[in-house]
Amino acid sequence: MQMELVSLVTLTIDDRVITAREGMTILEAANEAGVRIPHLCSDPRLAPTGACRLCVVEIEGERGLQTSCTRQVSPGMIVYANNENTHASRTATLEMLLSEHRVACTTCDMDGGCLLQDYAYEYQASETSLPNIALPCDLTNYSSGSEAIAYDPSKCVRCQLCVRFCEEIQMAEALTLRGRSGYVEVTTGFDVELNESTCEICGGCVNICPTGALYDRGAMGLGRPNDLEKIRTTCAYCGVGCQIDLNVNRRLNRVVRVTSEPGCVPNDGNLCVKGKYAFDFIHSPERLTKPLIRENGALREASWEEAIQTAANGLVAARDKYGPEGIAFLSSARCTNEENYLMQKMARMAGKTNNVDQCATTCHAPTVAGLASAFGSGAMTNSISEIKNVQTMFLIGANPTEAHPVVGLEMKKALRIGARLIVCDPRETWMASRADIHIKHKPGTDNSLINAMMSHIIAKGLYDEAFVEARGENFEDFKANIADWSVEQAAETCSVDADLIRRAAEMYAAGSPSAIFYTLGITEHTCGTENVQNLANLAMLCGQIGKESSGVNPIRGQNNVQGACDMGAMAFALPGYQKVVDPAVREKFEGLWGGPLPVNKGGTVTDFVEKAGEGVLKAFYCVGEDPVRSEPNSTRVIANLEKVDFIVCQDIFMSETAKLADVILPAACFAEKDGTFVNTERRVQRVRKAVEPPGEARADWQIMCDISTAMGYPMSYEHPSMIWDETAAAAPMLAGISYERIEEQGLQWPCPTADHPGTPFLHKEVFTRGKGLFHEIDFRPPAEEPDEEYPMILSTGRTLYNYNVGNMTRKTVAVEQKQPENFVEIHEEDAVRLGILDGDKVRVATRRGEVTACAHVAGKVRPGALWMPFHYGESSTNLLTNDAFDNITRTAEYKVCAARIERL
Amino acid sequence: MDGSPTRSPQELAVLREHLASVQAGRGVRVEICSTGCRAMGAQTLSKEFSEKLTTAGLDGEVEVVETGCHGQCARAPLVRIEPHDFLYGQMEPGDIDDVIETTLRKGLPVDRLCEARDGKAIPIIGDIPFYKAQTREIFRDCGRVDPRRIEDAIVRGTYEAAAEALTAMTPEQVIDEVTGSGLRGRGGAGFSAGVKWGLCRQAPGNEKYVICNADEGDPGAFMDRALLEGVPHQVLEGMIIAAYAIGASQGFVYVRAEYPIAVEHITLAIEQARGYRLLGTDVLGSGFDFDIEVRMGAGAFVCGEETALIASLEGRRGMPRPRPPFPARSGYLGKPTTINNVETLATVPSVVLRGKEWFSAIGTEGSKGTKAFALAGKVKNTGLVEVPMGATVREIVFDVGGGIPRGRHFKAAQMGGPSGGCVPARYLDLPIDYDSVKEAGAIMGSGGLVVMDDSNCMVEIARFFTEFVMDESCGKCAPCRIGTRHMFDILTRITEGEGELEDIDRLEKLGKSVKEGSLCGLGQTAANPVLSTLRHFRDEYVAHIVERRCAANSCKKMVGTSCVAACPAHVNVPEYLSLIKEGRPAEALETIRRRNPFPSVCGRACDHPCETFCRRADLDEAVAIRNLKRFASDQVQEVGTPPVWQGPREGRIAVIGAGPSGLTAAYFLALMGREVTVLEKEETIGGALITGIPAFRLPRDVLARDVEYIRRAGVTIETGRNVDSIQELLDAGFDSVFVAIGAQESAELEVPGEDLDGVEDTLAFLRRANSGTLTEVEGSVVVVGGGNAAIDAARTAQRLGAGSVTVLYRRSREEMPALDEEVEGAMVEGVQMRFLSAPVAIEGNGRVGRVRCVRMELGDADEKGRRRPIPIPDSESLIDADHVIVAIGQQPNLGLADGYGGLEVDGRLFRADPVTQRAGESPVFVGGDVVTGPSTIIQAIGAGQRAAVAIDLFLGGEGQLPPERVLADPVIPDGSVMEITRQPLPLLSPEQLTGAFEEIVKGYSSSTASLEARRCLRCDLE
Repeated sequence: MQMELVSLVTLTIDDRVITAREGMTILEAANEAGVRIPHLCSDPRLAPTGACRLCVVEIEGERGLQTSCTRQVSPGMIVYANNENTHASRTATLEMLLSEHRVACTTCDMDGGCLLQDYAYEYQASETSLPNIALPCDLTNYSSGSEAIAYDPSKCVRCQLCVRFCEEIQMAEALTLRGRSGYVEVTTGFDVELNESTCEICGGCVNICPTGALYDRGAMGLGRPNDLEKIRTTCAYCGVGCQIDLNVNRRLNRVVRVTSEPGCVPNDGNLCVKGKYAFDFIHSPERLTKPLIRENGALREASWEEAIQTAANGLVAARDKYGPEGIAFLSSARCTNEENYLMQKMARMAGKTNNVDQCATTCHAPTVAGLASAFGSGAMTNSISEIKNVQTMFLIGANPTEAHPVVGLEMKKALRIGARLIVCDPRETWMASRADIHIKHKPGTDNSLINAMMSHIIAKGLYDEAFVEARGENFEDFKANIADWSVEQAAETCSVDADLIRRAAEMYAAGSPSAIFYTLGITEHTCGTENVQNLANLAMLCGQIGKESSGVNPIRGQNNVQGACDMGAMAFALPGYQKVVDPAVREKFEGLWGGPLPVNKGGTVTDFVEKAGEGVLKAFYCVGEDPVRSEPNSTRVIANLEKVDFIVCQDIFMSETAKLADVILPAACFAEKDGTFVNTERRVQRVRKAVEPPGEARADWQIMCDISTAMGYPMSYEHPSMIWDETAAAAPMLAGISYERIEEQGLQWPCPTADHPGTPFLHKEVFTRGKGLFHEIDFRPPAEEPDEEYPMILSTGRTLYNYNVGNMTRKTVAVEQKQPENFVEIHEEDAVRLGILDGDKVRVATRRGEVTACAHVAGKVRPGALWMPFHYGESSTNLLTNDAFDNITRTAEYKVCAARIERL
Repeated sequence: MDGSPTRSPQELAVLREHLASVQAGRGVRVEICSTGCRAMGAQTLSKEFSEKLTTAGLDGEVEVVETGCHGQCARAPLVRIEPHDFLYGQMEPGDIDDVIETTLRKGLPVDRLCEARDGKAIPIIGDIPFYKAQTREIFRDCGRVDPRRIEDAIVRGTYEAAAEALTAMTPEQVIDEVTGSGLRGRGGAGFSAGVKWGLCRQAPGNEKYVICNADEGDPGAFMDRALLEGVPHQVLEGMIIAAYAIGASQGFVYVRAEYPIAVEHITLAIEQARGYRLLGTDVLGSGFDFDIEVRMGAGAFVCGEETALIASLEGRRGMPRPRPPFPARSGYLGKPTTINNVETLATVPSVVLRGKEWFSAIGTEGSKGTKAFALAGKVKNTGLVEVPMGATVREIVFDVGGGIPRGRHFKAAQMGGPSGGCVPARYLDLPIDYDSVKEAGAIMGSGGLVVMDDSNCMVEIARFFTEFVMDESCGKCAPCRIGTRHMFDILTRITEGEGELEDIDRLEKLGKSVKEGSLCGLGQTAANPVLSTLRHFRDEYVAHIVERRCAANSCKKMVGTSCVAACPAHVNVPEYLSLIKEGRPAEALETIRRRNPFPSVCGRACDHPCETFCRRADLDEAVAIRNLKRFASDQVQEVGTPPVWQGPREGRIAVIGAGPSGLTAAYFLALMGREVTVLEKEETIGGALITGIPAFRLPRDVLARDVEYIRRAGVTIETGRNVDSIQELLDAGFDSVFVAIGAQESAELEVPGEDLDGVEDTLAFLRRANSGTLTEVEGSVVVVGGGNAAIDAARTAQRLGAGSVTVLYRRSREEMPALDEEVEGAMVEGVQMRFLSAPVAIEGNGRVGRVRCVRMELGDADEKGRRRPIPIPDSESLIDADHVIVAIGQQPNLGLADGYGGLEVDGRLFRADPVTQRAGESPVFVGGDVVTGPSTIIQAIGAGQRAAVAIDLFLGGEGQLPPERVLADPVIPDGSVMEITRQPLPLLSPEQLTGAFEEIVKGYSSSTASLEARRCLRCDLE
């Protein structure tokens, strides 16, 4: 945190002398000092509005009462927060509110957790002192059709917190008020159904509601606050690592709803639809509950002993027969750090192979490789909390409001306080539509664009010479490479206005601090690593790195993809990015683990699929991943995996890959086990067990221990914390982190010692690798370009509502209601030409396959481009994608392939 | 030169001179209000006027100009002819030829289109009392310029002040000038405009805004509309000066969409001003840039609140936010913003041009300049008025407004719209400014002034305004949203007769909570209508709750039909009027007698409150109910038979006093089967009906007929029976006693010489005259007093041959309590009236010789709004007098209370339950003047009726009056009855009037009666 100079103000509240910071409201100052002032319409995340009139205080020398939520402190102010006048006024207001309230605490889901109820008790305000004038409760309203949210105007106190949250924080602007006087009600614009509105089902309105007026429909009747225990844990979806509270009804062994509290890091109580609502999968009847063994082509239930033994036997047989290249272990970015640690340890010690990987290859491997080569460390350089202070946000190939919604909220916060925004994206995303500059370039032309920007910056002398001089390496060669790069030519390649590129370059160079944010739009290319290196070039060129709110920020896609990498679930690295090839490292780990480390080079998941096809890979142990669905060109993936002799799948659902397996092991999900995740900002955070796993399902780390033991390398731990301690001892960057230290709030690595506070941003004075390395990057076109037969460019991506292959999210009724089927976005020009109307069923085909989907016609994509999500098993987009790979990390080019579309 | 940009003040001045010379060439202008008067056909009028001018060949010399509001809206459509300064009202296309011939060709006024006073036309606008009593500064040009032509505005000097400010003054000087002038915001709160500007100027930031608040939402207020419609350039000029002063380059006019003409005119004005470079970049070559945009509000009242207005302007829901920060620091888009009301901005140019000294010389110490009021409600001259700050309510309502029509009385003025309060009659002489109005419980607000008379129920008014603020509450904060709803519910309950006394406490408590707890001005003042009416008219609330009575007879659920409710005896007026219409006078009479046994008396001498509250009076004139009652009684000459009780009579009741109250009680008790004996001290029957009313007003045979009818109901009347002790009556076996002895003792003048011979009180005088003991009066007579008794005495003296009769009254004619017709009759008969005169001594040598008088002047209002008479020092004079009759009021003899503990005395009256009239827990009931003080006949009858019911209930009966019957055809009349005007009674010549003691007023003929009866609207059937 940058230290700001804050003036202090001394004032008196209820005869206590209090010191507050200038600019604070009386309410905030009182809260901090422990003086209780009731309030229904105030929230630290929102601008105060002064609606509920409960926080009134008396200020000496002023007439009447003032709302403490809107009044800032001033020196010498004498405030009476709790005297006869404030008490009388609050009681009167409460009694009015109660008269307008359907006082139905007996059947209310918020009984015991309702602020109105609390204050009524505290002030002994009577619900009978005025006649009840509550609105009728049984009328249909905007929420009646929503599977997620239920609104009861007869319990609404009109605090507008929900509306303000929707407008100010989420900026979805779905909610508004209608009517006047006593008929004021929350509704959507033009009273459309909530699920048809711009609502993003973040549930912020429900979480912020002080009464039971807004409630999660799915949780109704399943427990009142006093029946529910809140278990703080880390969200299992994207890499933001939101802290969520699983509200568990112990009697039902059930997660009833998810909430979050303002103040928690990094999400400050904010959630997205997935974190808030997509937890139905936990209690899905489709969960795997018993181990299964394939016998005579069919699966049968088996005991754990038999299943473990069968799995171990199969793996050992292949290992022993075919050596280290005959066996592969696919770990999971969805699993905990502890489990990833065990998986790679098992692969190396029990499997005797470096063939271990996880889905980073599918997404951010180019980041790890690219940033490591440029800076020495492949992770997000800054913290989420720094985003709000960025002055110029440069987003390229990133759609945070959908893929990382809570990071999106931080960016919205920055926008609200005046940040400039440059978005380079072939699609008109939410951010693009609000950008100062939107470069809607052709998919796959990023390096041309970035080079042009840098060329312009250098030509105009806008780069940070001092920074380059002091901290850069290979600058002259880089400069020479870029020198004759023409903006006009790049504009043509990218098919955008040259002037836009110049303006973007100047805006980025001028902003201080400027920060780059990117995701898979950069990495999922055959030039993914080069793309990343070039963004590193741009940041270094302008000196926009190594500072607070300034750097290069890949936002990680999966909850623990950062952790899975940190844990060394990768062929080339051991925990803490210690290189497998480094003899000193090998020696250390051989000592720690009690045996020789394998020496084979090892491969990535894409290699595994290749090797399977080649008949080299004979046994495959896959945990929590579904390569059949997630890898490109699914048809070929299946064909290749079918050639593998023995497959063990460990998962919570029967995945497409599991259908090919010989042994299937039922695992516990994130809500059913303890452990840690590392979020995108390198923060190690706790995962806590809230409910018992279904049937015989067991935590992955327990299963791994059993298999490893059965394979002849015994592993045994009583609790994941013991595994963590082993990891921390092995990886210096994690050495200072323990379960004890992250009980309340996670810590950001590097954190080498037990008293180290963690590292909010990287490369402060020196890059991890010493000097920052400039790379000379040229533009290389994508592997497959449109032609006559396949004239369109297809990109794939993630939507707000679903997550990856949809196994978890698609069990959620609210999500299914909002986004029930696969779709393809097509530009209206193309749609008109092809006779496709919005909502039509269409066939999308590539050289590799075809799927049917629903056409979404708009101006969101470029003419000539198509865009599809990949969340739908019944219409699997990865049947279409191209199995062409990044030359360095073997990450597939999901973002570009040639396609054809036709109306069905 | 027209239409080319003015690049400097010099160019503007040249343009003005040029335009003036062009206009001077035209000569005559016909200025037709085409804004407010549009609804009354002004545009057709102006179109036809132009056409006829062309036909008449005058179109070259006469210009027809469609202007803004002239102010006197009650006379719409209004036409002003210049240069004659004639103002014509209610002009129709048919009048155009006459105006062309008479006025345009000959320069003479068309009298019938002019305002008239005492039958005399007042053509010149400046002579019309409505205008004479005003100081029109801000509205100087309104009605005189064509709002759609900037040239018309420029020629009258608009933009001169802006030119001065922008080129000859620094912004600080402008602010100093405005601050020094004492101009306070005309939108309501009255914050100093200059100080506001100063704060905005000092606020950090380069981007600032000025907003003209034209979201005028108060019911009844339309001064802002009139300014935007009539003189839009004056408003723009004010905005330019404000913008220059604070350093704004963008302005907004936020005007409600319900003001389409205002929107059109201001939008056009902005375009025209841009054309002349009076807006835009480099205004008048000053280097100052400023432009204005018009934004329309969707009609939410709360958007007149500045923070809500800003929210609305920003495209958000119009909801207020707490201040601070004030808009001067953080307003539109968070930038420093000045918001001024239209009228404030329209005032600014004069302040700048004529200087702060000029402006601050007008008004009161704390409130400077003039203020516009929208005068509406129960006042003759509704319209827009402008008076100096410090003018009194009386000046506005009576001098400018012409007073209260239809003989009703001023009750209150609702000031400041729904956020304001009701100012009662006793503040009539309060000089109005921001601070004094606040002390009276109202607010200046935007200057809406709605006049209420005695037919306005103050609880209903509170309910009306509470409903308004409730509906207009934006709903953001609980006290306003919910509190107003509860207040409204309670008020509704009270007006429906379902209130309870605790409701008053609840209202006060809620009002306090709403006032103290609400976020914005709307909520903080939302309780004002309730709190101010509770403060000034609490008795009306109590009457609604305790007596289930609405004094204004307007709460429909409670009172039913207003004339019936207004009649203290609740006679079914519409029913008997219909019967008269149908030619069934006997049944009409019978209907009357079901509630009132004195139809013959009341047909002549009643003060007819029924007519005061007749709803027809709101349209033209009240139905002549009293005359029709007399008609019915005149038609049926037989005494008739009441529905006599057929069973045995139970319960003995003594009624003391055979006046209207006692006899009425006796009559109804007899019909209820009680044994009633009336004990009358005098030998004659009728009490005050005989002693107080001369025979020429109430022939004795007429009275005798009503008395006989009462006897026939089974009432025993014993005359010459003086009762000294109630206890004796009770001891004698009476179960209950009704004391109805009236007010028979005259009040004394308390001046020297009152004991001289020839001085007597009016009752004694009339008693002597009525009984025939006095047959002749010689010499000059001075009557002191202004009530009916005084007039009766004067007219009696006149008839008895007095040489001269002079009535001395200490107030003016307007305040005289006697019936108008009586006063007029007396004057016709030769009685002289000396108003504003009071005796200070009666002089003479043993016998009266002279009365020493002092002249009086009227001071401030008393509790009831009547102005207090104050003697003028050194103004004494002498009047010769042979007789002095003192008629300044009567009071009851309270002797009966002695010796009987059950009867308590409260001041000069007996104390009794207001509803049952029972004296404490005793079997004694008291009614009529003896509890109310001297009152009217019908009040006394009503009291007797109520006493009968209460006594019957007390004796275990059901208290049933004769049941109502529907005999007439219940038909709501069609619109044609609106054509019938009120039928006058046949007038006698002055010679006939001064004649003897025969009845001086004759009744209706059958045909006239039928015609008059048809005028009843049968609002009882609604």
